[in-house]
Amino acid sequence: MATVTRPAPSRDEPRRPNIATAGVQLPAVRDYEQVDREISGTLRPTLFWFIGLGVAVFFLIIGISAWMYQIYSGLGVAGYNPPVMWGVYIITFVFWIGIGHAGTLISAILYLFRAGFRTTIYRCAEAMTVFAVMTAALFPILHLGRPWKFFWLIPYPNWRYIWPQFKSPLVWDVFAILTYFTISSTFLFIGLIPDIAVLRDREKISPIRKTVYTMLSLGWRNTDNEWRHFARAYLFLAAFSTPLVLSVHSVVSFDFAMALTPGWHTTIFPPYFVAGAIFSGMGMVFTIIIPLRKWFGLKHYVTINHLDAAAKLALFTSLLVGCAYMNEWFVAWFSGNEAEKSFFANRIWGQWWWASAILYTCNMMLPLSLFVQKLRRSAAWLFIISFTINIGMWFERFVIVVPSLSHEFEPWQWTSYRPTWVDYAILAGSFGWFSMWFMLFIKQLPVIAIAEVKEIVPPRLRTTHPHGIDPAGRHFEFEPDTPGEFA
Amino acid sequence: MSTEQDRTASSGAVAPNGVKRREFLKVLGVGTAATTMLGCTQEKVEKLIPYLVSPDQTVPGVSNYYATTCRECSAGCGVIAETRDGRTIKLEGNPEHPVNRGALCARGQAALQGLYNPDRYRGPMARKNGQLQPVTWDEALQIFAQKLGETRSRGGGGNAVFINQHESGSFPGFLDAWLAAFGMPPHLSYDAGADHAVIAANRQTYGVAWPRLDFRAARLVVSIGADFLDSWGAMVPQQLDFAEARADHENAPRLIYVGPRRSLTGLNADQWIDCKPGSEMAIVQLLGGQSSAQAASQATGVSETVLDAFAREFASTTPSIVIAGGGGADGLEVALAANALNSRGNVGTTIKPNEGYLGFDRMASPAELRALVTRMNTGGVSLLMVRGANPAFTLPKGVGFAEAIAKVPFKVSFSSYPDETSELADLILPDHHSLEQWGDAEPIRGTLSLQQPAMDPVFDTRATSDVLIAVAKKDSANAARYPAADYRSWLISRFPGGAAALTAALPRGFVSGSLAEPTTARPLPPVHATAPIEQSSGNMYLVVYPHPFIGDGRGANKPWLQEIPDPVTKICWQTVAEMNPATAERMGLANGDLVTVRTAAGSLTLPVLRYPGIQRDTVAIGTGRGHTHAGRYAKAGLNPLEILPAGEDRAGGIAFVSTKANVTKAGGYAHIVTTEGSARQHGRGIGQAIAIADLRAGRPGYDSGNANASEVAQAAGVEPAAGERHEGGGGPQHGEEMPGDASHAFLPGMRSPVANDAEGEQGSPRSNDKGMYDPKHWSGMAKRRWAMTVDLARCTGCAACVSACYAENNIPTVGADWQVGKVLPDRTGFGANLLRSREMAWIRIERYYEGPGGEDGTANFDTRFVPMMCQHCGNAPCEPVCPVYATYHSPDGLNVQVYNRCVGTRYCSNNCPYKVRYFNWFGYGEPARPQYAFPEPLNWQLNPDVTVRGKGVMEKCSFCIQRIREAENRATLEKRPLKPDEFTTACAASCPSRAIVFGDAADENWTVTQLAKDARAYHVFEELNTYTAVVYLKKVTHPTPAGRT
Amino acid sequence: MPGFICIAVLATMLSAYSGASSSEGNSPVQPVKFRHTIHVDTLKMNCLYCHFAANKSFDPGLPAMSTCMGCHTVIQGTTPDNKAEIQKLAAFWNKKEPVPWIRIHKLPEYVHFPHMRHINAGVTCQTCHGQIQTMKQVYQASSLNMGWCVNCHIGQSNPPFRARYDCGSCHY
Repeated sequence: MATVTRPAPSRDEPRRPNIATAGVQLPAVRDYEQVDREISGTLRPTLFWFIGLGVAVFFLIIGISAWMYQIYSGLGVAGYNPPVMWGVYIITFVFWIGIGHAGTLISAILYLFRAGFRTTIYRCAEAMTVFAVMTAALFPILHLGRPWKFFWLIPYPNWRYIWPQFKSPLVWDVFAILTYFTISSTFLFIGLIPDIAVLRDREKISPIRKTVYTMLSLGWRNTDNEWRHFARAYLFLAAFSTPLVLSVHSVVSFDFAMALTPGWHTTIFPPYFVAGAIFSGMGMVFTIIIPLRKWFGLKHYVTINHLDAAAKLALFTSLLVGCAYMNEWFVAWFSGNEAEKSFFANRIWGQWWWASAILYTCNMMLPLSLFVQKLRRSAAWLFIISFTINIGMWFERFVIVVPSLSHEFEPWQWTSYRPTWVDYAILAGSFGWFSMWFMLFIKQLPVIAIAEVKEIVPPRLRTTHPHGIDPAGRHFEFEPDTPGEFA
Repeated sequence: MSTEQDRTASSGAVAPNGVKRREFLKVLGVGTAATTMLGCTQEKVEKLIPYLVSPDQTVPGVSNYYATTCRECSAGCGVIAETRDGRTIKLEGNPEHPVNRGALCARGQAALQGLYNPDRYRGPMARKNGQLQPVTWDEALQIFAQKLGETRSRGGGGNAVFINQHESGSFPGFLDAWLAAFGMPPHLSYDAGADHAVIAANRQTYGVAWPRLDFRAARLVVSIGADFLDSWGAMVPQQLDFAEARADHENAPRLIYVGPRRSLTGLNADQWIDCKPGSEMAIVQLLGGQSSAQAASQATGVSETVLDAFAREFASTTPSIVIAGGGGADGLEVALAANALNSRGNVGTTIKPNEGYLGFDRMASPAELRALVTRMNTGGVSLLMVRGANPAFTLPKGVGFAEAIAKVPFKVSFSSYPDETSELADLILPDHHSLEQWGDAEPIRGTLSLQQPAMDPVFDTRATSDVLIAVAKKDSANAARYPAADYRSWLISRFPGGAAALTAALPRGFVSGSLAEPTTARPLPPVHATAPIEQSSGNMYLVVYPHPFIGDGRGANKPWLQEIPDPVTKICWQTVAEMNPATAERMGLANGDLVTVRTAAGSLTLPVLRYPGIQRDTVAIGTGRGHTHAGRYAKAGLNPLEILPAGEDRAGGIAFVSTKANVTKAGGYAHIVTTEGSARQHGRGIGQAIAIADLRAGRPGYDSGNANASEVAQAAGVEPAAGERHEGGGGPQHGEEMPGDASHAFLPGMRSPVANDAEGEQGSPRSNDKGMYDPKHWSGMAKRRWAMTVDLARCTGCAACVSACYAENNIPTVGADWQVGKVLPDRTGFGANLLRSREMAWIRIERYYEGPGGEDGTANFDTRFVPMMCQHCGNAPCEPVCPVYATYHSPDGLNVQVYNRCVGTRYCSNNCPYKVRYFNWFGYGEPARPQYAFPEPLNWQLNPDVTVRGKGVMEKCSFCIQRIREAENRATLEKRPLKPDEFTTACAASCPSRAIVFGDAADENWTVTQLAKDARAYHVFEELNTYTAVVYLKKVTHPTPAGRT
Repeated sequence: MPGFICIAVLATMLSAYSGASSSEGNSPVQPVKFRHTIHVDTLKMNCLYCHFAANKSFDPGLPAMSTCMGCHTVIQGTTPDNKAEIQKLAAFWNKKEPVPWIRIHKLPEYVHFPHMRHINAGVTCQTCHGQIQTMKQVYQASSLNMGWCVNCHIGQSNPPFRARYDCGSCHY
């Protein structure tokens, strides 16, 4: 049998460049031990954290009480103004679903594309996804006239002999959201296993945590075998959730595209919504990761290079959304459809001109600044931009939902819309709910994937670490393969 | 089957406190449930004579129908009261009745809310140490008899006064006889809403109070402020005749409306001459040839060319009808002059005195009441008795009736409801509602319209007639005169043919015959004629007009009448100052800006409504709202009579248009409570019209109400006479086929290609197995397609259909201030929910302005009234989007809404192009809640066949599915198929224009099928492929004089 | 996976719930122990004699007191406890009060059940109300659930009846 030989790299010849890890190396990190120490160090609860959690819970309670009040006295306490039958709740629902997309994009798609810069931010994004979906999933129920009957949307064998209307996009929503939640939470958990194992094995942690970690780590022993299976499982899940990123928000967009309401009834909605979703997701990632890397002193993990790369992605999606907007105008004009035209005129010059203005500024104009590298590499600016993006994306959904419904075919039924305190309280509550979960997460589990980070620790520091021996018996440095494969 | 004991048993259940009965009726109210107690209510009902069902067939859960007479106005329409399990739940017009021929107006429909009004007096009350306190009837009668005795003993009988709400029939005579017996003068038969000037003029000219107007014979109708479609005279029969006349397009009369404000009649006119208030005389003289167009133009502010054309048209067109509305300071003169114009061959052909309405005879004028006030002030009145009428509210405050009453030693009120007058009374002997008592009326000569109780009294009230008899019996001097036990037996005693004849006549509701009282006019006291309007000071003319529904204020405490938008202004629950948009612009007033309207008599601050149908120098305010003591709903709005100077025309009627007013911006803002979104169609082709010329020529003559056309016209500086636009189909000149054009083939019988598909599992269009939706399916369910046609050439926008729908389908009213007043409160707090456009009316009347005019304030604009209800699309957008099948397509072509399946995603409404789905934002049907729309005993009226919708579910027009099922059940029980036009929906039944026709479009024998084939037929938003079941027939406009086409 | 398990569990719970919401078997004690056994089984009285509207109305109709007393002014009962019950009835009668029967078969108000259609279609009372004639104390024999109704309407019953089964036939 032929023996496998590989040429021994000579010391002087330049190391072959590693595309994936180029520019994402972590020079400030000396060795793996440091990684374990620093990252698991972030798990120590601080007063500041408790305050943050308290605030989150406070808002959550406001939201819950508002909802209780609404259930008791009826949806009328919200600002609905027929025919504007959908309002803040659906807007916020789409908003959160959108947020939920960046996570899977970063952790799955970029993983498949071997984009190294994802390594340090994907865990945050992934968690954000799960919690965003958990938040979004509340709203379809929350906006029902009879929330206690929500389960009628779920097909289950019943004694009435009736099923849901499978033609209704709302039923598709139920499936889409449940699927997405299942997959992304599984994906998050799988990725966590090795890290949890690390935490489990550290000294001086409370027995409770020890037990919990032990259970969660599913007896991970760090063997090659486990790593191999783990890598495959991870790869499989990544491949599995990639189409979901596209499908879920497409389905959500069908809620609108399937209706014949002017401003909704367009074929561009699915791609447009997906792009918008990723865009908003990137925004939220920045909003979360930038303060985090500061407070947790992880700047040498989440380097400015990573942010830079992510910013490029945001910029790209922003351009996509921009195209979608312009396309909408064009089609409206080109269609010659009376209702369509007058609706778009109304969208821009009508009573909600300001909403549209905010939307176009935040989503099209401001992100253009990311063409400038200086701004792209300034964490502060990115943080500001991320905020405007979040606001802009909320208003995008507002502009889609409210003006369309208030300016439909029947001029006699043209109306206005004004949310009430209940709407706002529940909106605030949703943020409370989301941040509560996130707060709990960052102090129980590592916000940066310990295992994966280790792959982009610069090789020169690895001499003390496992290396290969060629048939000639000479040692050669182990050149880390593309990250993620844990070779 | 009922024994004597039964009846006593039943009356036991209807014990005076009424508690037990109300208890279980409440249970009944919300469903077909609770058969347990039915035994009790039947018996009383059984003693009456049902219309269709013979007494011994009275069955729980099956309605009995009682023919009686509507007393909501003086016209005397015949109604049929549907009574279920002892409660009257619906009124329909009596199809055989010569006056209203089956139609019934909004006010008539709302009579039920008078019957079940939550603020009605529960029983007699007497004032003890300053407070009105409940007493027993025995006490009350004792007090009354005693007072009568005192009055007579003091010889004050002559000074006693009885004011009765004007009504025709036997009662006035009975009352006068009774008064005479007690040595009292005849009563004052008072109707604040009546047009005294016109009545007086008619008497002089035609010798009758109110001739019949035969519009069919006329070629031209000139209405000088005569709102014969709103409230002027016998509204329902006039509207029937008018609609009939207009439906015959070829010979239809052209309607020209002269007046400062376009009322509903004005909006239905083909041309509007917007003369200044008080200058009507000039027009009449012009028509009479006594003055020149130029002179008239100066007086009226109307362009000379228009007037000249008008005069020439009038001269050249015969026969015609000229009617004047009165109401001005010179109302009598104008009316007389107008009548004089009819001398050229109209009388007898178009104006038929001998077929006139008698409901307006022997009416006491406001002048008499003013005279009475002076007497009261001088202590000249010893005893005042008031029944029904409410002079303390309906007379201008300046008359000072309320103050004068205080000077009368003893006041008795027979009113059923608290009102401004009864509040001041010392003794209240609440009368039965007209649906609870016996009576009769003679609306037209030779026809006796009978009135019988349709149900047990709701409260512990007594018919005034019976009270009078009872009192007379107590009185030694008079006991002999009244042998009859009660008013009913008194009626029988003088009824031709006696009891037997009456019994035989009751099912039909009327008999030919006459009890004619002398129809002489009452002597007129000296009137305080008001000076011509020009002599008063102010920057604008003040026009006070009676509200079409609430009228002089009688309807104010009926939530339906408050909530159903005024057919002209579309205002609910609110009083506004209507101003011409141009004027408002000039004064910098936007909709809702508060203005102060100040006259010599006082000032009123209220929001502005820009209404294009108003002459530029005029501000108009409607009466009827702004009560202080008339119940919980009547508080809404303001009362313009507070600022109307006390003055009369020479016929003694209130001069409603008699003064100028100073209109100044008050600062501040109140939301306008309206259901109107945009008053323009924006070329959507919702209410379409075709000019008669095009119709005759068979041209498509499409007019989608394309705003552009008119803008072009204005830009070119030409102001097309109302209708040149229409000629040749003004809309798109480039001849593109617009949606809904009738040239498009329409197959009403067919369900849409995807209607099966809308059914779900077996519904694949390609599938051979269409399941139960296969026309050949054994269940035979797919044979029908319920459909409806709405003829816009007939529809006048009177909104009778809306009220009928409210009554039939348990639709909640949502506008009262305690029903979520916190959301966007209006100045009065009323209508908060409507500000959020949360009205629940399953059918609404959309009122669109067309062509020039409208916003720019020029006189000529056309109006389209479009009744809009669920279109029951064969290919309904709402159906596939409902996640739980709460709305779906039934095999007989209905778009069904299943309330109990609805989870309230409201997606269906989002996807409905017609926006006819309504959501229950609150628990309008839950008694415990402030939003409860049917406070006891309003809930007695709820239709047991229709589910009362709960919180958080969607609802919409069901094509009266309960009536469809009822008809199907009836047919099945009688083992026969449905007969064509066997039944119809509530809206169609009540329509006084016969504009709505309902039926099975899959069956050639139904009228609707024929109508749907009309050349004018179109679907709204046909381009959306919704395959609607509602077919509209284009309005036919008569833009040019009949001669010229 | 956890998601799918949740759904499965939820589904089972809900389907169980949707079936459980029925008052089947409910059998309250009536103020007067009216014996269907005697009237129907022994005396062979026709149901329509008392429930006079069942074949012409939505409501089956509950007999007026007079109907009861029509016979029971003369019939005083044989056994002591029958006598007792009849005297209760008489007592109500003399107080001029209707007997406050307790309702057993109740459909929600959003369901419109036309008795006459069923009776005239040959559906026996027993089909829905069970063997009333043998019930010492009446109880709700059927679940009255929607599925239970639909079963007949789609022809699954024995003997098979056939009727329209779209929602709008009963819900409006």
